[in-house]
Parts: sequence; structure tokens; C-alpha cells
Amino acid sequence: MLASVRSATLVGVDGQPVTVEVHVAPGLPAYHVVGLPDAAVRESRERVRAAVLSSGLSFPNTRITVNLAPGGVRKSGSGLELAVALGVLAAADELPSGVLDGVAVLGELGLDGSVRAVPGTLALVDALARRGTSAVIVPCANAAEASLVRDVRVRAARTLAELRACLQGEEGWPEWAVLPRGGASPQRHHVTDDEPLDLAEVRGLAFARRALEVAAAGAHHLLYVGPPGTGKTMLARRLGGILPPLEHHEALEVTRIHSAAGETVGGRLITAPPFRAPHHTASTASLVGGGSGRPRPGEVTLAHRGVLFLDELGEFAPAALDALRQPLEERWVRIARQGSSLAFPASFQLAACTNPCPCGLGAPSCRCSEVQRARYRRRLSAPFLDRFDIRVRVTAPEPRDVPGESSTVVAARVRAAVERQRARYADWPWRQNAHVPAGAVDLLLGLAPDADAAWRALIGDRLLTGRGAARIRRVARTLADLDDVREIVPAHLESAALLRSDAP
Amino acid sequence: MSSRPPVAPLDPVEVAAAVLACLPDMTPARMHLLVSRWNGPLGALSAVERGLAGGVLVERAPPEHIPARVALARAWQRAAAESAVPELLARRGTRVFVAGRARFPIADDVPGRPEVLLAEGDAPGALDGPRVAVVGTRAATPHGLADAHEVGAVLAEAGITVVSGLAIGIDAAAHRGALAAGGAAVGVVATGLDVVYPRRHTALFQAVRGAGLIMSELGFGVQPRPGAFPVRNRIIALLADVVVVVEATLRGGARITAERALEYGRPVLAMPGSRRNPAAQGTNALIADGAHPLLEPSDVLLALGLTPGSRRVARPLPASGSDAGRVLAACGGEPATLDQLASRTDLPPDLVAVAVRELERQGWMERAQGLCWPRA
Repeated sequence: MLASVRSATLVGVDGQPVTVEVHVAPGLPAYHVVGLPDAAVRESRERVRAAVLSSGLSFPNTRITVNLAPGGVRKSGSGLELAVALGVLAAADELPSGVLDGVAVLGELGLDGSVRAVPGTLALVDALARRGTSAVIVPCANAAEASLVRDVRVRAARTLAELRACLQGEEGWPEWAVLPRGGASPQRHHVTDDEPLDLAEVRGLAFARRALEVAAAGAHHLLYVGPPGTGKTMLARRLGGILPPLEHHEALEVTRIHSAAGETVGGRLITAPPFRAPHHTASTASLVGGGSGRPRPGEVTLAHRGVLFLDELGEFAPAALDALRQPLEERWVRIARQGSSLAFPASFQLAACTNPCPCGLGAPSCRCSEVQRARYRRRLSAPFLDRFDIRVRVTAPEPRDVPGESSTVVAARVRAAVERQRARYADWPWRQNAHVPAGAVDLLLGLAPDADAAWRALIGDRLLTGRGAARIRRVARTLADLDDVREIVPAHLESAALLRSDAP
Repeated sequence: MSSRPPVAPLDPVEVAAAVLACLPDMTPARMHLLVSRWNGPLGALSAVERGLAGGVLVERAPPEHIPARVALARAWQRAAAESAVPELLARRGTRVFVAGRARFPIADDVPGRPEVLLAEGDAPGALDGPRVAVVGTRAATPHGLADAHEVGAVLAEAGITVVSGLAIGIDAAAHRGALAAGGAAVGVVATGLDVVYPRRHTALFQAVRGAGLIMSELGFGVQPRPGAFPVRNRIIALLADVVVVVEATLRGGARITAERALEYGRPVLAMPGSRRNPAAQGTNALIADGAHPLLEPSDVLLALGLTPGSRRVARPLPASGSDAGRVLAACGGEPATLDQLASRTDLPPDLVAVAVRELERQGWMERAQGLCWPRA
């Protein structure tokens, strides 16, 4: 008369295990769903009934109560339908007892009894595995994705009728195509670009290229300022191609987030750092997350462990840009809702391009009035601009400039520098130079004895803010990592200071 | 402000001129009409008090304006009868200069000369010696600002008063240069003396008051208005013995000042610049029209008939073969980005960075707006 089935629902980008309890009792035919379901879950009752009947099974014509526990968590989406259907069958003694013990069930139902894919399978299975579930039944289309979680036996389901037969031992479980583990796949999966982008296509711009390499090596936020058509965007789009691939746990995390956000990952592990390039009309909610109803992750979360690229920075709504300040500092976004608060990971690297002024030419040929320039500068608030470790002015290449190194060459240097940082910060909670908090700068980013005087001179004559000084120090450390030296020498400090030019 | 020099009590003519200047909707042209019709401020004020100003106001007015002018004359009559200006002058320590009298700072009687100038500040002696106006655009480049600062300093060190308009850009830089060198500055404003415009120059206004004078032909409380600035610029031209234009756009207030100066027979010096620099187009055009090019800030002393002192200590140029020397030469005297310097010198970016920082420390280069600006 009573059955309970394990399943899970998405809360933000994380899975939340849910116990589906179904009680079938004599009485007038009725069907109630309790336990904070949202509209999509509540309307599942029609689909469950139709799917059960289409599968040639009998739907109990009595009083059915479905409870979704824990009661305090809002259940959303249609991924609980298969669990409800199995619960109804089990409670009506249509399934052998005990076959669902220790097994979690995910899936959406079609009216014909087919089992359809659900978003966020990886996050859901991961959450279930952490709570001790050893086997999951998932839609066939999600089986490869679910199998990315270690130590969980994955069963694929195609239709409700077939699933019941498998559970009763009448048929064998369907096979699904196992994709090669993403780490072994040579093809890099770029979320935004399908054309290969190589630095060898960029002529000249030695300094801007150097800035890109340093930004990639130390995860520094990067701003290119310059007239239109000089190659700012071209360079910035090539940042993704020189970043080192994600480590396995990072790749799992990124894949989980993208899957939960409803992006198709196709069961493949995302091993390349994501590269997100939202258009400048993006709203605050689409950038940082939120929105009405179920809070959704924003671009900053989808760019987690990767790059958020904002082209034409000056055209973004000032409120949207200022909303980036908190995730830039804390690398988390907290979305508060009535009764609950969600935290989305947002450890991203910001790359941006902007024109220096409305006419785009900038000094010394600028034709804007002082008032126009002042108004343009106000769009990018000083505290926001202060968060860029690297700010470089770009002009068109000189006629004699030749193409530079290819992405492969640069990526090798970047990777070596990243490895050095990972080794240095092995005992610390951060991974790259840009993440070292200001308080630990003196301790961890040591200066060579002869660099001390250069550092003092730099702090004195540039009138740096405390934050600005720490940023220069971190960039200098990345330059030292690229050069493979243990301590920062004066030349690194000088270069770091030049890589952080004044605001546009 | 205990150190402020005492202001001698104003005589009735000066008080009358100030009361007239502070009447509502008073303009320099109306002031001139009143004063010349009734032979001086005293006569003009008494005519206003008796309600006779209407006759002058309607004289050349189109018929549809006549009712408004008559009403204005009545308003003046009331305002003059209950004017609080005499007490205000005493409380603020305002000085009043009346055209044609001995202490009026503009000796020649030319059309457009203001009838009255109100002045406030702690160094009235600023008007005694030679005076040079330094003017230019508000949209100045870092080079232009540095030049204006230097010209102001050179003049101040020679004991010459710097006259300018307290505007953003070149004006402010010239004032600051003079003040930094311990010299005297005169700021001519296009508002009442009790108004600070632009607001961000509040501290500069204070400094100019402390080391010179703030002057205006307009009454207290007059707010900034676009048309007032070109009118004000003729006073700057009249007060100066020489006018220096550091950077000017093709059409701008600095060009107007230079044109007035030429009308009044004041020598005009203009600093030449690159044809790529929009802020140098006005000065280059002035030179093409016959203004003297100002190649060195100290040349302005020659134009005044003074000998420039050997003020500049020659700094050794970086060796031409060194990285720093090559980087400085690669600028070609114009601002450049780091990319351009790296490309022109064929040096790797890190060495360019070290060279630029070295040049910056030695004062050969300045970084602003993302560019490297060489200093010759």
C-alpha cells in the first residue's frame, strides 16, 4: 500500500535527493501531490497516469497520495515523474518488492510511456552518490553523462514497460553507447566558437599578446582599450585557446554546472575551460544569475573555471557591470530568495574590450568633448576598473609587423607556469596567482633582495591603492612563473606596472 | 583670513558702479549705455533711482520688446532703492575698479572695455606688474597641460602675473603652474564673484584668491551661461600685455581670446603642435594667421622684452644605443603605445617595459591614457 522511491531535484546548480513516497489506499479515486511541488511537478499527474495506461499496466483507481520529502525544499521540473510512476506501481503491488531498494530513479515521462532526458543528470547523480546511492536508473539519453560519476551503477531506461520488465528480471537491461572519457578526447570543446582560433593569425601587438599570455598563466582579469578594428576582440577570443585543460575534478564540476543549466553536454566531460561571451544587452540577472521563479545560474557561473568575455564593455548597463564586482572578489554569487538563499560558484577570469571614448580614437587624436569623455568614463565605475589586474592600450599593428607565435607555443609556456603555481599553492586553498588574497601577498609572493627598492619606488611614485599594489605584485609573480624563477626580480615589477596602465 | 590686507573704504563712485553692476539682468552693453549717457556711475545710478533708465533701455529696442524694457527699468528703480550691495561689498572685502579712473587695470580706452571690474583676493599687487594671459582648450592633452603648467611657472618665476579663466584644462594648468612657482595669478570669471564654476575647481579658486585676484564685470549671484564666456574672454585679452595660447581647438573660447587680443593690439604667441592633435589645430591655425610661434616656454619673456634666465638644467639624454635611448627615439616626439614601441625597436616586450620605466623615472616620459608621452 505504501512505496518509497529515491530521486533528486535541482536546487540551483546542485542536486538535492528527494524521497518520493506513494500511498495507495481504498477510497474515492483521487490523486494528490504534497511537499512543495512547483507547477511542473503538480501537472505530472496526468503524464504519469497516461504513461502507465499506455504501457499496458493498470493505474489504481483509488486514493493516491504522493509525498515529496524533504518537505522544505521546492521541487521543480519534470525529472521526478518516472520515480512517481514506479512508486505508484510498487504501491499497487505491480512490482516485486525490494527491487527499488538502494536505487534512485530519474526521468521524465511521455504520454506513450517513453522515458525522456532530464537536465542536470550529472548534478543529480552526483548528489545521490554522495548520500550513499549505489545504483541509478536514468533515461537512456543521460546514461553516458550519469556514468561520469564514479562508484555508481547506471541503468538506462527507454520506456516504462521495458523498465518494469527489466526490474522483474524478464528482460536484460538496455545497452547505451559509452562515449570515450573526455580527457582522452583530443578535440577541444569550445562552448562559443566552432572555428579554431590561433594566435598565429595575429600580426604584431607584442605587448598585447604578452598581456594575454600573462593573463592566461595567472588567471588575471584583462582589459584591452583601443580604437575599433585594432584586434582587441581578435586577441581576447584567443584566450581560450592558450588556457591549460581542466583537471578532472574541475572538469566534473564544470560539466555538472552546464548540465544543470540546461546546456547540452552530450554525455561528454567538458575538459576545456568554458569561454562565455554574452552580448552587451545582457541583463543583470542573466550575468550574475537569478531571475523569477527558480533562480538560474548566470553567465558568471557558466564561466566558472573559465573565461567571461565582455566585448564593448562600455555598452553594458552600468548596473549589470557593478553587479559583477562581488563575484569578482568572492568568486561566489549568492542569490537570496524569500525563505532560501543559493550560492552559485563563479570563479571566472574576466576578459574585456572597450573603446577609450565615444569617438573610439582615444588620445591623441580623440575628437570627443571633455563632457562626452567624462560621461563615457562614468559608465565604467572606477572600483570596477580597479579589479582588472592587466589593462593594456591597443593600437593597430604597424605596417611592418609580422605574425607572432602560434597558440600551441604560447599554451606550452602557460601550462608550465600554471603547473608551477599549482605546486606552490598545493597546501593553500587557492590555485593561481590572481587568487592569492592581499594579506598573503608578502608571505607568498616574495621579492628578490634587489627588488625591494624597486617595489618601494613603484608604490611611491604611482600612488597605488592597496588593492592596486597587490595586483601588480600578483602579475609580477606570474611573470616570474613564466620565466621560471623563484623570486620576483625588478624587471618583473616594472613589466607588471606597465601592464596595468591607467583607466581609459 | 586674518592676514588679508585691509581694503580701503570704497568711495561713492565705486559703490555706485558696483550697485549698477548688480542690478538684475545687467549686461556689459547696458552698463556702457548708462554710464556714457549720464557721465559716470554716480549720474547713472541717480538716473536709475529716479526711473529714467527706461529711456536708454528702449532707445534701440524693437517695438515688441518695449514693454519688457519699461518693466525692467521699474525693477531697476526698486532694486537700486533697496540695494544691499554696499554692505555686501564691505563684508566680502570686494574691490571695485571703475573705467577711466587712475587704478583701473586697463589703460587704453577701446570699444568693449568693461565699465566696472569687481575683484576679490589677498594680493591686489598682482595687477601692478606686467601681465600675461595663458589660455587654451578644456579638452587638453597631457602634453598641453604640462606645457601650460611650465609656461605658468616660467612667468611666475620672472615675477609676471598669469591671467586666465579658471576653466578646466589649459586655464587651470597655467594657474597651477604659476601658484606652484610662488607667483601671482588673476582669474577672470564669467559669473558673479560669489559663484564657483566649474565646481570641481573650488580648491583652485581658493588658491587663486590667496595668491592673486578673482575678477568679474558681473554682479553677485550671476550664474554661468554659455554666452557669457566669449564675452568674458575679451577682458582676459584686455588685461594681458601678451596672450599665450597653449592648445586650442579650431573653434573654441581660446581662439576668441586670441582674436580679441589681436583686435586690441596685444601680441599673441601660440604653441605649435602635431597636425594629428585636434587640440593643436587652433594654435597651428593662429600661427598660420601670423601669431608668433612659442617654441620654448621662456620665449614668452622675450616677447615682453625680458631676458630669460638659464633656468633649465640640461639633463643628459639617454645614450642613443641604449634600450632607453632607442625607445625614446622610437616615439618620434609623439605619444605611442607600448605595442608600437616594441614593434619599432624590435625589442621584446619585457625590455621595452624596463626601458619605459627607466625613462619615466628620469622624467623623459610620462604615461597617461594608456600611452607613453615623450618629454623633449
